[in-house]
Amino acid sequence: MQRISRLKRELQLLNTEPPPGIHCSFSEENLENIQAQIIGGSGTPFEGGVFNLEIKVPDRYPFEPPQVRFLTPIYHPNIDSAGRICLDALKLPPKGAWRPSLNISTVLSSIQLLMAEPNPDDPLMADISSEFKYSRAVYLEKARKWTEKIRHTEEAVCVLQGEGEEQQKGPDEERCGKTSRKREALSAQENLEQPKRSCS
Amino acid sequence: MESSDNAEQGGSEQSDSQRRQQLDRLDREEAFYQFVNNLSEEDYRLMRDNHLLGTPGELTEEELSNRLQQIKDGPEQPHNEGSGSEEASNGDTLLDWLNTVRQTGNTTRSGHRGNQSWRAVSRTNPSSGDFRFSLEINVNRNIAEQQTQTEAERLEGDQVSPDAAVSEAEPPMETAEPTVPPRRGQIRARSPSPEQRRTRARTARSRLPVNLDQLDGLPQVHNGLPSHSHEPVPEAQVEGSSRTRLHVLSRQSNIQAEAQESVEAAEAPAAPQQGDAPSGEAGASGRRPPTIMLDLQVRRVRPGEYRERDSIANRTRSRSQTSNNTFLYETERGGFRRTFSRSERAGVRTYVSTIRIPIRRISDAGLGEATSLALQSMIRQIMTGFGELSYFMDSDSDSSDSNRGSNPSADAADTPGNPGTASASVVAEAPVTSAGGSSEVGASETRTEEREGSAVPPQARESRPRPRAPISLEETASLPFLRLAHFFLLNDEDDDQPRGLTKEQIDNLSMRNFGESDAFKTCSVCITEYAEGNKLRKLPCSHEYHVHCIDRWLSENSTCPICRRAVLVSANRESVV
Repeated sequence: MQRISRLKRELQLLNTEPPPGIHCSFSEENLENIQAQIIGGSGTPFEGGVFNLEIKVPDRYPFEPPQVRFLTPIYHPNIDSAGRICLDALKLPPKGAWRPSLNISTVLSSIQLLMAEPNPDDPLMADISSEFKYSRAVYLEKARKWTEKIRHTEEAVCVLQGEGEEQQKGPDEERCGKTSRKREALSAQENLEQPKRSCS
Repeated sequence: MESSDNAEQGGSEQSDSQRRQQLDRLDREEAFYQFVNNLSEEDYRLMRDNHLLGTPGELTEEELSNRLQQIKDGPEQPHNEGSGSEEASNGDTLLDWLNTVRQTGNTTRSGHRGNQSWRAVSRTNPSSGDFRFSLEINVNRNIAEQQTQTEAERLEGDQVSPDAAVSEAEPPMETAEPTVPPRRGQIRARSPSPEQRRTRARTARSRLPVNLDQLDGLPQVHNGLPSHSHEPVPEAQVEGSSRTRLHVLSRQSNIQAEAQESVEAAEAPAAPQQGDAPSGEAGASGRRPPTIMLDLQVRRVRPGEYRERDSIANRTRSRSQTSNNTFLYETERGGFRRTFSRSERAGVRTYVSTIRIPIRRISDAGLGEATSLALQSMIRQIMTGFGELSYFMDSDSDSSDSNRGSNPSADAADTPGNPGTASASVVAEAPVTSAGGSSEVGASETRTEEREGSAVPPQARESRPRPRAPISLEETASLPFLRLAHFFLLNDEDDDQPRGLTKEQIDNLSMRNFGESDAFKTCSVCITEYAEGNKLRKLPCSHEYHVHCIDRWLSENSTCPICRRAVLVSANRESVV
């Protein structure tokens, strides 16, 4: 399969020259499931947080985009409470902008950029988006609070796992079963509503 | 890295075998590149077009060369892209032909069956992907009522399968629409049987919605439907606006998702005039030996384009020898209109697509009813075919290229899950068909709003095309007609899914061999450095890739992976998104 050899090359590159603020981990035998971490950029409300993502590489990669999802809760107009990301590079044309010359690394960089620069005009979380647009201070405050919580709950440095409501868990989920609880707790605290998603 | 380390330690034994597998794969990949490098351009194309290459690493070199040998030995097995697998079942010459057309581009073919003879010509413009198809059908009618029943039907039959295939195919259809055993009769609406009425009523209802959609403003004459009498309608006066619509809803079971599509074709022909007197038709029909000409031009629509102005535009021309009238039907707004929407739910995808083809009659000259009927039915059929487009597309898009060609259905099956949904037979044509049938369909297709409109002259088309359509979907009983549809469908790529270039278009792009003197470069699709002898393809934007890498991308997309410039723009497409 083309994707395997390509992935190997990509991951080698990622290991040797990772983009700043991004880490990737993967196992040799399961190349299609990759864990990534993005460090909240300074100057953003996510500063100080480490955000875990899971990447699933489809069979047809690189002719299809990788599926990327946040495992760590994040307060962001383009990322929903299940961690899904609204980003054109993650979708196929004509709707999206995925193309085979992109790769895991560039996708992660785009996500990093998206974190710093939300796109409220293509929101996934309508509420957060309008907050971002019309009351930026509130948004920043909340986002910061969320990031705070992550840090607190993160003393045990283990890879965060999603609550797995719809996705299967990663290979090493046993190691950090508690994170899902964390996430739930977090959502509960914030009394997270589930805004409608306008971004499909 | 930490996780990877752990994992490695943890499962070193397991990973051992996996590693070996991967190594093997890498070897095969090497071999693949070698193999491709050594292929002549012709062979490469042959293999690619028949999806024999697979993906690098999938096959050993030996397997590849076996495949090459096979394809060379037995040229063109039913590897035809679209419907190859299905087709085999009925010896439907027309269909076969269509498939050939698909591959070669330009062809002419003729045949006859019973009273009817047909001649079909197709031409493709390789650079733009536009397609033109014309079909001429001569029908010698006997007065026999049956014959008269429907020219359209005949036409259909002719087109579809000159052979007995049609008849065989029919049974399934019937099953689909229990109510309409005497389809033809019903279709024609000759006899004011209750059944017919029913259907009509239905159609009327259904139409309403349709009208709203498209025809606003236009007088909606549904009555016309019944009037397919062959007699030349005395008064061509019928307003050009009268329209008949075709709705074709098809559900495709294969596809996990249900694709429902309705095609509405508005046909201006005299239908309205006669509308009320169905009986008249029959008599008239017997008299004429009309020639029916269908001229269909299919234009590819690029993504983004289709929303506003839909695609596949065409022009239909019908001529009845007797009267020497020529009618031109043109789409009102430049073509079919297609609306496509889709929703996704847990693993089940639903596609709703509507194709509207308003056709207006340009000349008011008197039209032989029969002709118009036949025409209508033909159009319907074709339209039906179109309706299935999405189906194909879906399957195509979902499945990997390699599978595509050979058996769409299989692909569909592969597609991610919508097992549940699959309703096997699917196609429900709307109202027009038999009431019974429609009802069934309706149930299944709740979603399609469009059904409504099957304003299409109820008489003819309906039952047949629809049933077929569904059938076609299913492998078992594939109807020739559908095939037709498929054919057209195949020519048009998916709406919603990324659109690719045709093979011809891809082949028109320049190609070269990577030589020693070249600077050290990497193919950005596979992230592999080019090796000497690699075949590279250069896009108009000057970006280069391995042939097999870029061809695969371009078969589904139309932009350069690096700069995203439309590949065809410089060539000959004016309207690339």
